Amino acid sequence: MSVAPALALGVVLVVAVALFSRRAILLYRLVRLGKPAKRFDDLPGRVRAEAVVVIGQSKLLQRLLPGLMHAAIFWGFMVLLPTILIAMIGIVDPHSTLPWLGEQGLYALLVDIFAFLVLAGVIAAFVIRKVQRPARFAGSHLGEADVILLWIAGIVVTLFVWHASRIALNLNEYPAAWAPISDLLAGSLDGALSPAIERVAVWAHVMLILSFLVYLPYSKHLHIFLAAVNVFFGRTKSRGRLEPVDFEAPSEEVRFGSATVADMTWKQTVDVMSCTECGRCQDVCPAYNTGKELSPKLLIMALRDQVLADGPKALASKTAKLEPLVPNAVTDNVVWDCVTCGACVRECPVGIEHIDHIVDLRRNLVMVESRFPEEAGSMLRDIDRASNPWGRAQGDRAQWAKGLEVRVLQPGEAPPDVLFWVGCAPSFDERAKKSAISTAQLLKEAGVDFAILGPREACTGDPARRMGDEYTFQKQAQQNVATLNEAKVTKIITTCPHCFNTIGSEYADFGGRYEVVHHTEFLAGLVREGRLKTLAGERKITYHDSCYLARHNDVIDEPRELVAVSGQAVEMPRNRQRTFCCGAGGARMFMEEKRGRPINEERVREAAGTGADTLAVACPFCTVMLDDGVRETGAKLQVIDLASLLSEAVERRKQSDQASVRS
Amino acid sequence: MEPGDASMEVLTLARKFGTDLRSVQMNAMQPYSPDAIASLLAMVADDLQPSAVFAAGTERGNEVMARLAARSDLPFAANCVAAEPGDPTSVSRLRWGDSLLEVALLHSSRPIITVPPHTFPIEEGAHPTEVDITPFIGRIDDQDKLVRVDEHVAAAGGGVSLTEAKVVVSGGRGVGSKEGFAIIEELAGLLGGAVGCSRVVTSAGWRPHRDQVGQTGTKIAPDIYIACGISGATQHMAGCRNSKRILAINADAEAPIMASADYAVIGDLKEIVPAISAEIRKSR
Repeated sequence: MSVAPALALGVVLVVAVALFSRRAILLYRLVRLGKPAKRFDDLPGRVRAEAVVVIGQSKLLQRLLPGLMHAAIFWGFMVLLPTILIAMIGIVDPHSTLPWLGEQGLYALLVDIFAFLVLAGVIAAFVIRKVQRPARFAGSHLGEADVILLWIAGIVVTLFVWHASRIALNLNEYPAAWAPISDLLAGSLDGALSPAIERVAVWAHVMLILSFLVYLPYSKHLHIFLAAVNVFFGRTKSRGRLEPVDFEAPSEEVRFGSATVADMTWKQTVDVMSCTECGRCQDVCPAYNTGKELSPKLLIMALRDQVLADGPKALASKTAKLEPLVPNAVTDNVVWDCVTCGACVRECPVGIEHIDHIVDLRRNLVMVESRFPEEAGSMLRDIDRASNPWGRAQGDRAQWAKGLEVRVLQPGEAPPDVLFWVGCAPSFDERAKKSAISTAQLLKEAGVDFAILGPREACTGDPARRMGDEYTFQKQAQQNVATLNEAKVTKIITTCPHCFNTIGSEYADFGGRYEVVHHTEFLAGLVREGRLKTLAGERKITYHDSCYLARHNDVIDEPRELVAVSGQAVEMPRNRQRTFCCGAGGARMFMEEKRGRPINEERVREAAGTGADTLAVACPFCTVMLDDGVRETGAKLQVIDLASLLSEAVERRKQSDQASVRS
Repeated sequence: MEPGDASMEVLTLARKFGTDLRSVQMNAMQPYSPDAIASLLAMVADDLQPSAVFAAGTERGNEVMARLAARSDLPFAANCVAAEPGDPTSVSRLRWGDSLLEVALLHSSRPIITVPPHTFPIEEGAHPTEVDITPFIGRIDDQDKLVRVDEHVAAAGGGVSLTEAKVVVSGGRGVGSKEGFAIIEELAGLLGGAVGCSRVVTSAGWRPHRDQVGQTGTKIAPDIYIACGISGATQHMAGCRNSKRILAINADAEAPIMASADYAVIGDLKEIVPAISAEIRKSR
């Protein structure tokens, strides 16, 4: 052991740690500036997310080449971590190594293999970036990514050269055969130069690592540290739930969404710092893909830039004048383009929750600034006054059930086994009514004890909430929870995935706890139990997953069971949790689609491309949007709710049974 | 109401802020130019040093006060129905199409407040009866004259507005093209009514958005609504449900609009609509 290298390494380490800490402390203080967010529950779920998404790289591996590329680099670095320590020991004393681990042949082999994989990953990354050039990188900092990749390559190459020179000098503590690549490289090294090469390589290696460490917190590559943190604090259950605004809090503490960076929660701050600009969100975004202003990636990047610009001002003074996020970071159009479909959230490998940002911006625009697409105003007023978004008379709510002998639950009556929560669209919309009628008929057919609330059912408030009007939403929620609790309802069926999500995932925050099932789940159960007998027909059916059913709530298989008993199934390219929105979510149902191409037509074209003759849906909003889309595009498709399809299959079976009895 | 007109509502709130009330008459300013008025008001305010500035919560009142607030860097609360002086000044204002009352605090020694007409009971009190007219001469920057009313032009479409028309003849996808609206316009003209349309028509660019009837367009309540080639999506019906009578002309007897129509003609609107027009002409 010699003193000079130890001293030099010590100085370098102190400088690196100091530079790193300076930035890291600022970032930490910016996160601590954030408003509270409840993300400390469900520890097992968080550990599971960490294991699957971070260690298992599940979201990245959804795309094979980029996924393997990233996994190689990520897993490689996990294996190579101890070599940082080994190299530092090597600087101080070339004849020492990390006790035990540094002497293991097996570890030397793993290092050789994974270092090679990292190098292969870097090359693959360059191929993706320079040859494939996927559109998802549009707007990302491309030069910075190249620098980072070269940096990684440098770290691995110097590691190989160092190992090779040690083998050439017989300094290896493990049998050289255990490190085949380094051994091969050692053979080509000039014997006389080897001692010098060994010193240069180990110093270059350690300096590259330390400078990389310092560079990280100043760069978009901060995700190396923050991805694991952000995934850990992500939503583990009720992914479709929004955090309620606490209007009961002291007035200065009520958070009306986000006006400036000072209003963001700490989780949102970690979100924006974690972004690595990979663009997977942008790639799947229905708004971006139909030529609208919103790109979830550019939204998060713009918020990050504003956090870094305004955050330090907010830290310096509580009364600092901060720029409004809208229109400073993003325009009003960006905020209103979102359909809250959650495709971006699901795709994001680092656990960014874009919808929370959008909804917070909307909450501020709507509740504080009164600034929103004018045409949506009547929906908000009608939910508030008429309890449905179209201003229809509540007295007409049960009119769809005329002649069906459906029990309307009266106050004080004993609750039914299941309450059929019809929803506004199936109650009032001529096209969506069909699903309510079919569902009621099938429930009767199977002998289910059910009832509806009729005029006592009010809009769940979902469109108001997704627009940012939390007042109207909470008023609706409290009213409905009071009605349901007073009626002693325990189990609820809905045909509308938005009602399903709101009652099932959000009403618990207002004291409403029920078992909520979607009609497709319930009907599939009846088919499985043999209470509904079916016969498949000739239809060629493609099923459109509703975002609030499949992506936000994982209802995927039951609708497909219903398709299977009704006809021939054919899948669209974008299906299950990676479905593509119809364009109605996030209250977009009640706004004009003025920018870009219509989302519904895009989806209808995808459906028509399967060669199906029937486009099955499980959501009244999807029904209206896609039926409109079929008319606009002239596609040869019939849009029909799964309940109506099942109804046909049950009818077909009855007729076939009768025919066989007769013959 | 124009900015400067001291309505009883404005006076009711303003009296709480002091007994020395000055009324600024702005109506003489022609043509209407919000920046010019705001710049003059800023000068008057510098001169008089009032503890608050009030105006009527009309469209013009709010517009001018917003500009005054921006150029003087003063807080502005629109549509207030109550105000209490103090530090901070407390105001209650109408939000959300008047469905919500918000209490807001204005941290300033000179808040700007507008008061909407006919929204709360007025209180009788001292009314400046002795009119003491003080001429004020201020130079208006040329830049502040850029936004002004140069000309009033009646809306196109025969002068009958969609919201006021007794008869509305509306066309949907079934009309087929921009040119196809000629027969709709003809019938509307004969009936002294206005032309409307569905959302499909405005997205296709056949008619301007101001003609759109529906949830995201104009809500109307004519005596008779003639819906030609309109399927009757809920979003459209939300805009015409309050019509006294709905006549649907549609090729599809199963179209949702049939559920709401009082009368229906099943068939090709391109034959039916001109036939109705011809009948009307004959009977005149």
